[in-house]
Amino acid sequence: MASRKAAQKSLSLAPVLDLNEATALHQQLMKLKGNPLVIDASAVERVGALCAQVLMAGAKSWEEDRQPFTFGKVSDPFMKTMQLIGVNIDHLLAQEARQ
Amino acid sequence: MDMNEIKEIFFQECEEQLAELESGLLKLNDGDRDPETVNAVFRAVHSIKGGAGAFGLDDLVSFAHVFETTLDCVRSNKLEPTQDVLKVMLKSADVLADLTNAARDGGSVDEARSRTLIRELEALAHGEAPAAAEAPAPKPAAAAPKAAAPAPVVEKPPVNDEGFQPIPFSFGDFDEEPADRYVPTCQVVFKPKKDLYAKGNEAVLLLRDVSRLGEMSVYCDMDSLPPLDKMNPEEAYFSWKISVTTDKGEDGVRSVFEFAEWDCDLDIHTIEEDVVGEASDDEELPMQPVPFDLSMLDEGGPSAGGEEEPTAVEGDAAAAVAAAETATKVSQAASRAAENAKAAASAAGAAQANQAAAAGQTIRVDLDRVDRLINLVGELVINQAMLSQSVVENDNNGASSINMGLEELQQLTREIQDSVMAIRAQPVKPVFQRMARTVREIADITGKSVRLITEGENTEVDKTVIDKLAEPLTHMIRNAVDHGLEMPEKREALGKNPEGTVRLTAKHRSGRIVIELADDGAGINREKVRQKAIDNDLIAADANLSDEEIDNLIFHAGFSTADKVSDLSGRGVGMDVVKRSIQALGGRISISSKPGQGSVFTMSLPLTLAVLDGMVVTVAGQTLVVPLTAIVETLQPEASAIHSFGASQRLISIRNSFCPLVDVGRILNFRTIQANPIEGVALLVESEGGGQRALMVDAIQGQRQVVIKSLEANYTHVPGIAAATILGDGRVALILDVDAVVAASRGQSLKQDISLAATG
Repeated sequence: MASRKAAQKSLSLAPVLDLNEATALHQQLMKLKGNPLVIDASAVERVGALCAQVLMAGAKSWEEDRQPFTFGKVSDPFMKTMQLIGVNIDHLLAQEARQ
Repeated sequence: MDMNEIKEIFFQECEEQLAELESGLLKLNDGDRDPETVNAVFRAVHSIKGGAGAFGLDDLVSFAHVFETTLDCVRSNKLEPTQDVLKVMLKSADVLADLTNAARDGGSVDEARSRTLIRELEALAHGEAPAAAEAPAPKPAAAAPKAAAPAPVVEKPPVNDEGFQPIPFSFGDFDEEPADRYVPTCQVVFKPKKDLYAKGNEAVLLLRDVSRLGEMSVYCDMDSLPPLDKMNPEEAYFSWKISVTTDKGEDGVRSVFEFAEWDCDLDIHTIEEDVVGEASDDEELPMQPVPFDLSMLDEGGPSAGGEEEPTAVEGDAAAAVAAAETATKVSQAASRAAENAKAAASAAGAAQANQAAAAGQTIRVDLDRVDRLINLVGELVINQAMLSQSVVENDNNGASSINMGLEELQQLTREIQDSVMAIRAQPVKPVFQRMARTVREIADITGKSVRLITEGENTEVDKTVIDKLAEPLTHMIRNAVDHGLEMPEKREALGKNPEGTVRLTAKHRSGRIVIELADDGAGINREKVRQKAIDNDLIAADANLSDEEIDNLIFHAGFSTADKVSDLSGRGVGMDVVKRSIQALGGRISISSKPGQGSVFTMSLPLTLAVLDGMVVTVAGQTLVVPLTAIVETLQPEASAIHSFGASQRLISIRNSFCPLVDVGRILNFRTIQANPIEGVALLVESEGGGQRALMVDAIQGQRQVVIKSLEANYTHVPGIAAATILGDGRVALILDVDAVVAASRGQSLKQDISLAATG
């Protein structure tokens, strides 16, 4: 199990999270594994299902590691796309991002 | 890669799809009712339409669309693929091919024809559709597609990618639906495959398009999502259960997935509003909001609560599955359409799996590159032969290691050559399929009923041979249908099936490809042929010709037995042109005919035009190569076996049968006096018209594979010589045209000009 004292990391998502970005995103997340993570999705303009998968798999892994995994800021397109594809991230939203 | 290249690839793929389409339709025509066949046909048209849409080829798209709609009726068992239906469809396939060609290089399309077909196709789609199950369902709307024009959602340029619309999750709206208007709700199970993403499709956009159809609620199934470190970021893990209430109906939803259909598992069915509680077949029940829908829609709600908590997800998923099962049961009871859709979807899946398995990986290579390679390998073979020869000549102390090395080299060269040749080898299928169209068209024009049976379409032969085969074959098929087959009434009177049969077969036989074209028509009217030949001064009135010789007269230039010259054939340029093109390919053609039972044309062609196994012989000081395929056996004649016959003819008796002895040197004018057979060697060859001839040569040097170099291209045509080659010592050797030599020897019994025509 990862150290609980690990420093909090943050990850800013690219504006376009399409097919090409999925592998890169996966690698970024893999590097950050074991640390509490705040994701900044405020710049996201477009997100595809593959990246959504990676993010959700990340959330799952962080959950297993008992490390916090939160979305600090989210853009409107990001939220709406997640809603559209039936992926609810409400419980992952940081306090300030919740409406 | 620029647009034109992409377009070119599209057209290449179109060709493949068209071939697929035609073979599928022909299978259906033969009574094949395998849903996979229907699917393959549907897919072919669908792909053409898709690509055409992307390139803005509107004519093609609109025709394909109508065609596709009708095919969809067949696919969903609403339209029985009877012979009449298939006739229209085959014609449509022809028009589709024309349209594709027109789009490619601006050829013309018979617009009246395509308009007629569009009407016929639409009539088929309409005419049968109402008979099918679901009256209030949206199918009929989809069967009237022309107005809706080609483009389903995907083809409309998507608005803007950021402009996602929020999905209404509230069901208050749902209840507000006017009760008197029936709006079907579709249940969609959408499970993308990896390919869907790999091909640049995006599930998000598909879902967005579905959401635009109407009220949608969605449940994302993440059960299969592995933890981060075990996942492949490009694999498809999510799947969706969608419920959408839309007046576009099942077809509207399906059209969203149109271009992704083969890359996902898709199950769409309409939930009949009138099914309350138990199944009811009465379709006129008043529409009511159904508890079922709400329960399913509720899935979307709670599940939205806690995806990331495994327990919660499981619970939701279980509920969702349970609900889906209920849905299936209920809808199964009432809606045949649902079943059809499911069957179609699963069949499509299976078909795709099959296709994926059957079609190995291929690359498209520019033909020039292959040709260059073949040419180089040819040079390599020649060089290797030269090398072995000079080693043999300079080798006095038997350095066996060099010899062994050379032998290995020879084997390798041979293997390389075979492999390179295999690259060029292509199945004859495309040509055969083109013939199917020819038959259809001629049958239409002549008013005859013809069935074309093809066998061995997968026989492979060099691409150049295939390309050059189409024209003579078309001629021959036209002849077979126009002249060979009788009119249906006459056939019936003769006790034959009114539908004539033309059988086209291809097979490999001893290193050559043999193509047979058989019809079950009247056969050659020998009396008529003979009379005509006499009238045209081709033979003497009292010439005594065998049946075979008479039959072969039809290959003579300017010969036509048809009483009147028709549009199709019988202009007297038919069979001699055919014979010439076949001969130009290094092939032979023969005919055998039985009066009243039909004729069989047999063409035998070399598999490749690049190399040849030959026997190197000496004739009057010249080195010649005799194609090995022609030689039956070689023998050393004995004086007792040689018999003189007539003024200059000689026969050789082989195992108690006599065979004409042909002095190759004399036929080719290498010498003027007949050589003494006892000093030479006889090559027994099988001649085209059947029957054997003994070709007399002075000596046999050996057996060798030679690279064919065209004489016509490099020098000029020489009668009796097929081509040339370069031998190991660098000398040019001529390759003997065995048939021409045999024909020339036989020609002495005919008039001189015939023999010349045959050789030239």
